[in-house]
Amino acid sequence: MKFLIKNILRIIPVLFIISLIVFLLVRVTGDPVSLMLPETATDAERAQLRESLGLNDPLYIQYFTYLGDLITGDFGESFRYNQPALGLVLERLPASFGLAFASMLVATLISIPLGILSAIKRNSFIDLFITGGAVLGKAMPNFWLGIMLILLFSVQLNIFPVSGTGSLMHFVLPAITLGTAIAAEMTRLIRSSMLEILGQEYIRTARSKGLLEAVVVNKHGFRNALIPVVTIMALQTATLIGGTLITETVFSWPGMGQLLIQAVNLRDMAVVQAATFIIALLVIISNLLADLAYRYLDPRIKYD
Amino acid sequence: MSTSLLQIDDLKVQFKTGEGVVPSVNGVTFSVNEGETVAVVGESGCGKSITSLSILGLVPSPGEISGGTIKFGGKDLLKIKKRELRKLRGNDISMIFQEPMTSLNPVFSIGNQIGEVLRLHQKLDKKQALNKAVEMLDLVGIPDAEKVVSRFPHQLSGGMRQRVMIAMALACNPKLLIADEPTTALDVTIQAQILELIKKLKTDFNTGVIMITHDLGVVAEVADRVVVMYAGEVVEEAPVNELFANPKHPYTKGLLSSIPNVDQVVEELGTIEGSVPNPLNLPKGCKFNPRCPLATERCRKESPVLEEVGPAHQKRCFNV
Repeated sequence: MKFLIKNILRIIPVLFIISLIVFLLVRVTGDPVSLMLPETATDAERAQLRESLGLNDPLYIQYFTYLGDLITGDFGESFRYNQPALGLVLERLPASFGLAFASMLVATLISIPLGILSAIKRNSFIDLFITGGAVLGKAMPNFWLGIMLILLFSVQLNIFPVSGTGSLMHFVLPAITLGTAIAAEMTRLIRSSMLEILGQEYIRTARSKGLLEAVVVNKHGFRNALIPVVTIMALQTATLIGGTLITETVFSWPGMGQLLIQAVNLRDMAVVQAATFIIALLVIISNLLADLAYRYLDPRIKYD
Repeated sequence: MSTSLLQIDDLKVQFKTGEGVVPSVNGVTFSVNEGETVAVVGESGCGKSITSLSILGLVPSPGEISGGTIKFGGKDLLKIKKRELRKLRGNDISMIFQEPMTSLNPVFSIGNQIGEVLRLHQKLDKKQALNKAVEMLDLVGIPDAEKVVSRFPHQLSGGMRQRVMIAMALACNPKLLIADEPTTALDVTIQAQILELIKKLKTDFNTGVIMITHDLGVVAEVADRVVVMYAGEVVEEAPVNELFANPKHPYTKGLLSSIPNVDQVVEELGTIEGSVPNPLNLPKGCKFNPRCPLATERCRKESPVLEEVGPAHQKRCFNV
């Protein structure tokens, strides 16, 4: 509990730094006024907008005003949608979150059994097949895999919907598309992690106790091998929530990635700021969860 | 004398490597009786650990047992089914390893790891197993056993961990305990305590013990009988007092002369010239001949066999 409070408190300064970076981001990418007004706007109109946006104030005053707004959850309005930017971002969050979760689920379900199998059957035909498959999985471009899956399962076999959201069926193809590359990476990682652990002396101890080989591998081995794997899982989850533009585009998925890239193209800075901030926050949270998982998995961390 | 508990006959273990087949154990024969401690002595790489691992079928890959028998309770452990062997492991035959620091799983509590054998072999439930674990920790002299069961290996010292290993090995009252250099990694005072403990358990439970070691001090302390191994072969076997008083094989003599003696002032300790031969390229004839002060032409051509030189005393040498 103490650990949790300490770590949550530790998030606060990080958030300040992020807010500063996000704030400066807009200032260094050009004059917001000329972005927001049409080219035909008069100088008087520009000056007026500048005044009303507070852009004539010194930078630090602007920053504190901005920070004050942030604390009340006000990230400004999207000038494209004429809605609060935060609302737009949060609206996309469930779709992004759901897809991230589904993709990680796919990746985990594939990589854990294959990684373990390939480690215990080291250098066999099965191992070669799995590690070869992992290279392929990692090397396949997302958009290509996505399109192939659509062609096969939506167009030819008519099992899953082509695009959009709405039902659990909609999750399947995009989750496989995103999950494949992650599964490939995790399979390799689990394999090497398991190989290292299976050579440890406590594995021999476990065998000398008369345990079933499956218990030796899955209980004594995997529990230890999982520790480095959790790191990758946390980082991948954060990346997935932050947006996976290509897959979202292929499947017309209303996720964060699409919103963010549109906002960048239109220089809809309020949305860019809100999205960047929320993504950063999610990365921090998923790292915090990974820390918690470590402490659960490895008692050595708890008492240090 | 009591009945034979374990009988190893002509055991051969080899490792298939890229450079060729490495014979690690080459026709080892010895037995262990109930309540008897047999020390297996030799330099690193002489095959003593591999011999002990063979008993439980734990020879690491790419090693494989290529011949011989290991009889325990009338059954050949090399022929029985895996399932039957698993029933013996940790139950009738258990093992203590050299490295207490790495032989316990870092992510499970002490109670969990000791309890695991009890749940498996004696079908105790979680609570009973934990109670028995506390009992075992008490038995091996760990203070505050109730607290220690919920601790993790990294919170204990090396000596404590080795006691935990012993508690775990003895939890199911094994008939045979294999201790592979159980005190090598420990400091001297802890060493003495652990040896005392093993001795006590042997007399209390009539357990047969195989003590693998390269430390003749340990041998003198605990063994009833000694098997000396060199390059995968038994070169001498004798009751402990006989061996120390009347060593026959030049290798045994060399080993004994390299122990410092508190009562005598010695200018220089004895050493055995040369080093252990490369198992890929073993010398012809007697394997010890390149290092042997007594080696003759015959030793370079013919391999001596193990032969009786006295009651229960055998040696593998032409010249003594």
